[in-house]
Amino acid sequence: MKVTRREVLKTAAAASALAAIGGPLTTVAKAADNEPEYWVKSVCRFCGTGCGVMVGIKGRKVVTVKGDPNNHNSGFLCLKGALMPPIVYSKDRVTKPYIRKNGKLEPASWDEAMSLVASKFKASIRDHGPTSVAYYGSGQALTEESYLANKIWKAGLGSNNVEGNPRLCMASAVGGYVTTFGKDEPCGSYDDIDSATCFFIIGSNMSECHPILFKRVAARKQADPTVKVIVVDPRKTNTARIADEHVPFKPGTDLAILNSMAYVIIQEELDNQRFHNKYVTFMTNDKQKVDFDAYMKFLEDYTPEKAEKISGVPADQIRRIALMFAEASATTSFWCMGLNQRIRGVWANNLVSNLHLLTGHIGKTGASPFSLTGQPNACGGVRDTGSLCHLLPAGRLIKKPEHRAKLEEQWGLKPGTIAPKPGLHTIALWNAFSEAKVKAMFVVCSNPAHSLPNVNIYLEGMKRKDNFMVLSEPFMDAETVKYCDVLLPAAFWCEKRGTYGCSERRYSLLMKSVEPMGECKPDFDILMDFAKRMDVDPKVIPFETIDDVWNEWREVSSVTPYNFMGITRARMEKESGILWPCPTEDHPGTKIRYVRGQDPNIPKDYKNKYHFYGKKDGRAVIWFRPYKGAAEEPDADYPMVLTTGRVIDHWHTGTMTMKVPELRRSFPKAYVEVNVEDAKAKGIKNGDDVILETRRDTMTFQARVSDVCRPGLVFVPWYDANLLINKLTLNAFDKGSKQPEYKICAIRIKKA
Amino acid sequence: MKRRTTITKTLAGIGAAFCFCFFATQVSAVSVKHLKAPDDAADCYTCHQKVTPRVAQNWYESKHGVALMKCFVCHGQPDGKGSIPFAVVPDARSVCRKCHEPAMLRMEKKFGIDPNCYACHPFHQNSMHHDAYKKSISKKE
Repeated sequence: MKVTRREVLKTAAAASALAAIGGPLTTVAKAADNEPEYWVKSVCRFCGTGCGVMVGIKGRKVVTVKGDPNNHNSGFLCLKGALMPPIVYSKDRVTKPYIRKNGKLEPASWDEAMSLVASKFKASIRDHGPTSVAYYGSGQALTEESYLANKIWKAGLGSNNVEGNPRLCMASAVGGYVTTFGKDEPCGSYDDIDSATCFFIIGSNMSECHPILFKRVAARKQADPTVKVIVVDPRKTNTARIADEHVPFKPGTDLAILNSMAYVIIQEELDNQRFHNKYVTFMTNDKQKVDFDAYMKFLEDYTPEKAEKISGVPADQIRRIALMFAEASATTSFWCMGLNQRIRGVWANNLVSNLHLLTGHIGKTGASPFSLTGQPNACGGVRDTGSLCHLLPAGRLIKKPEHRAKLEEQWGLKPGTIAPKPGLHTIALWNAFSEAKVKAMFVVCSNPAHSLPNVNIYLEGMKRKDNFMVLSEPFMDAETVKYCDVLLPAAFWCEKRGTYGCSERRYSLLMKSVEPMGECKPDFDILMDFAKRMDVDPKVIPFETIDDVWNEWREVSSVTPYNFMGITRARMEKESGILWPCPTEDHPGTKIRYVRGQDPNIPKDYKNKYHFYGKKDGRAVIWFRPYKGAAEEPDADYPMVLTTGRVIDHWHTGTMTMKVPELRRSFPKAYVEVNVEDAKAKGIKNGDDVILETRRDTMTFQARVSDVCRPGLVFVPWYDANLLINKLTLNAFDKGSKQPEYKICAIRIKKA
Repeated sequence: MKRRTTITKTLAGIGAAFCFCFFATQVSAVSVKHLKAPDDAADCYTCHQKVTPRVAQNWYESKHGVALMKCFVCHGQPDGKGSIPFAVVPDARSVCRKCHEPAMLRMEKKFGIDPNCYACHPFHQNSMHHDAYKKSISKKE
């Protein structure tokens, strides 16, 4: 029977009408039950895209969500964002404080728990000095919470041991931007997607990790099929579905490809000489200023033919993508963990920016080197507030005396309050904690027992009796709960008020929608309580409400290029996100940085159109970064490469997404993705158990055989707490950014 | 081998039941039913690729498919224990609205209230006013 399209539509319409009248009655009734009484403006709790969300409230409970039409996502949500409400009311919520006694977490009062925490931290400082205590925060904590913790530790306790999971996620992007432009954070905005004519996506599975941005890229391509999309990824992911060119290179060799693209661009006379003559410094790896000719000479090691031998990518394809990149009228690059989680992460970041500086695809609508961030507030909360061991707020550095002095002056503290030596970066910090050299650790909104690389050694450290870990966490089943000495019930997402700053320098307000569950408290309250019990100088914490913290942070930013003095609470309540710099209340926010007339940091009468004011000479840097391999290359014993990442259904350690029935069922447990050729050679079939072995541990996963991974590569998603893939990953890290190389380690596999 | 046979049988059963209920819904408007899927049944697409290939292919090639807005986001869970009620035709006011409220308001302004979005916008096949992201294989059939 042939059914015409019209008939199908009519039948569907009839079905729908029936459904509305008498049709699945229960369905309609339930939907009506959940009609919210009112909506509260917020931001999605998941990735760094930072989509605006409206939280639907009925009977003082969250009943549904919808996209905020006034935020950058224009009302759209991805599947995770659309399914958030069940997480709030999970039976696994931590609703009261706990203290570990005889190995078991026992309920306690807030006062008992916080008294114990304060006594342990005080004893540690008394006996071992301030550097024996640390804070380990999160790119999911609110901006105000990270700013406050940073200030308490660095100015109140005298410890620069302030770190957090953003070190694992975007430290190389910070290193890349700072070394190239002198200032952190992207220079463009999401709006560039709507006018770009070429997308260069490298080391990012946007489709699953930043779905709403990918949707916008796909929509751009749909609207104008001449728009080119290049996806450089050893896996043929869903992102590659819309690619004109998918480049499945040998993992770790992308530096050679990027240099080779620069070679082709120059050989084809597609570089923008006027731009790079005026606005770029050419600099060797050992920081010697040289000229364009030296750059050409450096690139001779990366002819497409030579790069093909290194990367396995045909020379012709390298030429094609180089031409696509350079010949487009406006190219925007996107990258994420594929470049960042590498021992050459900073270099890889530099090399993408090199292509933009070489071609002049920067500082104009649709043309930008754009680093995507994994967490909703890694940029706004941690990078901008300087909540890492070497940073101070607004891009200042601990090691620079003038930066410390200025901040001490702004904070009204006596000179010398901030210790001059940077603290321990994440891997060094957890190493020190595992050796009980750091004695007391305050973990907020993070799950290090799941997310640290080569995690076995850190789990052993967390089990020690001679160190102390307090964890503020909303979910009882988070892996780190098994190891903490005190567990504090943290208010979750819509139960508190504060700021998130997403990948595009956009600060949005999350308004409190509902009261915290049980005895839960916002981390702002917890940190203030902690600081008072630690007898921190009241001048360090002159805050009554979280809005007081925001207002102080605005003031601190106002004398720096971050200047967001104009992003007042009143504006944030009214508007759905504003991009900094935004110096005054009537300033609309900044979509393009480093350009006269766009960036308020550049005087309107400045002589040149572009000004990279992060560098003394106003010039950005094209770096000569050579190709060097991974920390652990495959060899005869471990001949394959393991890489880890996300699936769209789950986010980070799964403590949230596993609470949503649909998402849990969609991917109930982690698996290993094996290429068909490798599977055939090893006799592995779909669904077979496969033993994965690295130099660190051995685990068994069920196989998914496909052509997604290139031959020689296996992929495992990292969300599953029952199958902690980080037992196999490597904790080698980038010397510059200190970010670990999650993306590449040597592995051997066999059928179980 | 035994496991494989069981899975195949389950898939066939789910498919048959789903198809039956889908058409039954159109005729008699009874509540939607779906055979119990095992907890590790993976995502809906894995089964429906086999048991309702045309519907699955339509979705895969649609904007929703490209953006990986998976079946359960709009249809809920077959066991009714999902975040939204299980329905063959999602309720526009509670489901479509999550992402498409601006468009729904525009339509409402233009044509009056009509929550039956599906009549003009078959959500597995994009808007009828536009081409699909790529011409779908199933449309060529």
